[in-house]
Amino acid sequence: MARPLPIVILLLLAGIVAVWGATISLTNETPLDREEVVFWHFWSGSDGEVVNDVVRRFNASQSDYYVRAVSMPGNNFDMKLFLSITGGDPPDLINQDDPIVGDWAFRGAIYSMEEIASVEEVENMKDWLLPSARSLGEYDGRLYAVCNGLDIRALYFNRELVEEALGRSVPDELESIEQLDMIAELCTQYTDGELTQIGYLPDPRRLWAWGPVFGGDFYDEQNGQVTASDEAIISALQWMQGYRQRLGANAVATYRQNDQSLPNKMFPLLANRYAVILDGQWRVRDIEAAQKVSRTRGEPVTRYGVWPLPAESRQGKTGWVNGNVFLVPRHANNAQGAWEFIKFWTGLEGHEKDAAETCVAGGWIPVSKHVAESLEFQTYLSEHPLFARFVDFAATEQVPTPLVPGASRYYREVNNLVQRVMYDDEVVDLTAELNMLEQTMQKHIDRIRSHPSFAEEQADE
Amino acid sequence: MNNVAGKWKWMALLCVSGMFLLPLLLMLLASVKPAEQLTGDPYSLLPDRVLFQNYRDALESIPYVKYLANSIVLCVGSVAGTLISCSLVAYGFSRLKWRGRNLMFAIMIGTMLLPWHVTMIPRFVLFSELGLYNHLAAIILPTFLGDAFYIFLLRQFFLSIPEEISEAARLDGLSELGIYWRIILPLSKPALITVAMFQFVASWNDFSGPLLYLSDHEKFPLAYGLEQFVSSYADQTHLLMAASVMFTLPMIILFVVAQKSFTRGITMTGSK
Amino acid sequence: MAAEARGIQRWSGWLFVSPWLLGLALLFVYPFVASLIWSFSEYDLLTSPRYIGTDHYERIASEIVQGKGFGKALWNTFYYAAVSIPLSTIMAICLAVMLNWQVRGQAIFRTLFYLPSMVPMVATSILWLWLLDPRDGMVNGLLSFFYEAPPLWFQGIQEGVSTSSPFQFGSKDGLTLMSLWGVGNFMLIYLAALGDIDGSLYQAAELDGAGSFQKFRHITLPMLSPIIFFNLILGIIQSVQAFTQVYLVSEGTGQPAESSLLISLQLFLAAFRDLEMGYASAIAWVLFVFLALMTWGLFRSSRNWVHYRGVRI
Repeated sequence: MARPLPIVILLLLAGIVAVWGATISLTNETPLDREEVVFWHFWSGSDGEVVNDVVRRFNASQSDYYVRAVSMPGNNFDMKLFLSITGGDPPDLINQDDPIVGDWAFRGAIYSMEEIASVEEVENMKDWLLPSARSLGEYDGRLYAVCNGLDIRALYFNRELVEEALGRSVPDELESIEQLDMIAELCTQYTDGELTQIGYLPDPRRLWAWGPVFGGDFYDEQNGQVTASDEAIISALQWMQGYRQRLGANAVATYRQNDQSLPNKMFPLLANRYAVILDGQWRVRDIEAAQKVSRTRGEPVTRYGVWPLPAESRQGKTGWVNGNVFLVPRHANNAQGAWEFIKFWTGLEGHEKDAAETCVAGGWIPVSKHVAESLEFQTYLSEHPLFARFVDFAATEQVPTPLVPGASRYYREVNNLVQRVMYDDEVVDLTAELNMLEQTMQKHIDRIRSHPSFAEEQADE
Repeated sequence: MNNVAGKWKWMALLCVSGMFLLPLLLMLLASVKPAEQLTGDPYSLLPDRVLFQNYRDALESIPYVKYLANSIVLCVGSVAGTLISCSLVAYGFSRLKWRGRNLMFAIMIGTMLLPWHVTMIPRFVLFSELGLYNHLAAIILPTFLGDAFYIFLLRQFFLSIPEEISEAARLDGLSELGIYWRIILPLSKPALITVAMFQFVASWNDFSGPLLYLSDHEKFPLAYGLEQFVSSYADQTHLLMAASVMFTLPMIILFVVAQKSFTRGITMTGSK
Repeated sequence: MAAEARGIQRWSGWLFVSPWLLGLALLFVYPFVASLIWSFSEYDLLTSPRYIGTDHYERIASEIVQGKGFGKALWNTFYYAAVSIPLSTIMAICLAVMLNWQVRGQAIFRTLFYLPSMVPMVATSILWLWLLDPRDGMVNGLLSFFYEAPPLWFQGIQEGVSTSSPFQFGSKDGLTLMSLWGVGNFMLIYLAALGDIDGSLYQAAELDGAGSFQKFRHITLPMLSPIIFFNLILGIIQSVQAFTQVYLVSEGTGQPAESSLLISLQLFLAAFRDLEMGYASAIAWVLFVFLALMTWGLFRSSRNWVHYRGVRI
């Protein structure tokens, strides 16, 4: 039998905590005369501060709407949002970066901007956005998502290491994939038979980038065909497999162990574990911070540079784009307020200065050339040449993950296959595997599409 | 001879306890290590300096008290629901004779074998339609509808109480509800405490419930809040460990305080 | 009088179990029927379900044949169960036997052995993710004395308990290790059962000249067999339902390369990421039938090896 006294004390304590906790409110007060716009995002830490600042500026500029930002850190953010939509309690505005726009648009989980704003405004927005930014939100001829920050990937390199290996100054751009391979080979080092530095190693999740660079498309928009077994994609995967064969699956997995691209993880390029690495523009800040540390300590400052992806053939695209997009969940209480905030953030209707300020604070790539060309932003770029290159790349032809219903599974299945190729020493018949994947996904997407979409259903009624 | 064997046994027990405790100890040590030490010298055992600051930083990074309060509400609500519903149902299954009882009991045992996935999606749809989405009630209410495992446990205990006691009470004109409330429940305190603690621990640990049903920070319990913390501070091992210790500690305290009834409850489930 | 009491009991019995009856209807019967219907439908929670026939079951069948998706998850779950259940059973019995030794501090040892089982799964997952880090983890720090290339644990696709990559432990082996650490609940149950064994049996065996091992083999094990049986069934159910730890160590994806994709996670992803409620319901049903058959088989076979002391559960 348990002793009663400790239990009574515990219960008392629990009661106190419960009452205490109940009095704590995590949300700030919305003024009574304003309409509240509940906005979910996944930024935290210093990025979260930037977001809060944008929200504060917006709220100060407004008398009708009041944005309440809720940081929802966590993986599977999109799932949480979907559950809130089906649960009947969605926020008014969300910002996320998973390839689900086509899927959710088809199923009617989100509003198209045409449904919440005037035709003219939407046209203005489309003109405002860079082609790569627009491509992230257009589905079936409508704008379902508005990009507010582009993620562009390019090849970062350690200038010291590459220069030493090449024995000459480093080119500004790579001529070809072969040149990348050559540099990778030269910079890979073994000490006592143990791998200590990798020249370059393709990230298993980035067949989505290398496929287009090799000249392939994952999806044929015109005919609605999945084209995963495109010759160019097969050769891109073969090329990636070559790295695994040379380094061995074990080394690949050990070096890849901590997700390279998660913002929280230390950037492995700085640890001299890699000479060249594919990553996004947010790493510029890590590099600058590391250089600053060396400078204050009086140590030699390592120089870094960045190359665009070397397009393999003439049809090859320059890269793969994704980014953060705004979505307005269907049945949101305040879609109008959400739209006002979207315009404010992206700089439309005279908010260029504010948008530039946001991009400078967050180290984000503007989604409109009008913002990029603004004086504030140009000043910033002149001080950050590495970042300026990413802004240039954003204006080139960058392809997104296809916007199509069923894309989330497509995205996952491709990544699973590449992980298998990269982490397992077993030889995989790439053509057969990609063919099979293509058939499976075609069937999957066709099945989803064989039912009327939400928009078609609406039109019938 | 016997003494020597005893010493060996003792040594063996000590070694195994060490193996079991080491991970916990490492967690505790890491929670007070400076961040640089964890990345720079990952294999070192003792902290260079003891940094209680980690706990403060962790507390500032998550609304710990808020989450803790939600956890407590969740736990207390679920325990209340479980105790009320399961004891009532167990009474019906053990102290009363009625046609269909055995069949119903067999069905109940059958539901224990059902994986939660089968009912997960329809349950989500149902609860959303009832307007329970994003309410703690979505997680607490089901406990008021009984749980096969606890009902089984309580039934076994109720069965061991002699029937004569009930007969006597009936002769005194006590209703079934009166017998349940005044006689059976007071006699079954150990079993009830056991069930209460099982449910408390289960609610404290519940992760998939909040994952599915809660979307508002204001309502997250610790188990889910901690996962959110992980995804934002994946590289800050020292903070993660400090947060984990703070999450685990209440369970350890509970265990130490109520150890006897706890172990007893677990053994009760097995030996019958 | 007695007859009247029985009359009252007849309806009050139903009244007393009514909370559970309501639960049965709402939380079991309705979901059961609904998920069966949805398993033959295209359903995404947003638009109403549409009947499409056996498509989802065909997908499951082809995935089993190809060893992808559900097939892969089935294999992973099988591997995890096949490795972790026997290991945890053996370990729980050994620990229980040890804790049954009459030595000083027995009570303290019991507490210490059980303590890890009180650590919440979320904290356990965080802790072991850190301990089993391939590069910086303490475990690999120790293993580096034995390995040229220490195992990758949660970052690896290897299956350490197989002939293809012996002792190269991967993600599922990491999960197994975690489950072994939390073996305390079963251990206590065995401990209780050991206490119930009649001491005279051992004395009689000693008179016949039986050694420790023979006593264990011929008395302890048979006497424990009902608990082992209980342990097996519960172990299977737990492996199939394992979710929190799998979700946490793989960042909710089953990575790397689906190696830690257990059935519950596959179902979860299908439902809430791909929005394929129909397919997910079909998986749930296949699983249910599969589990039912398995349990039935175990019950059948148990007659041959489970010794009840004249009592049946």
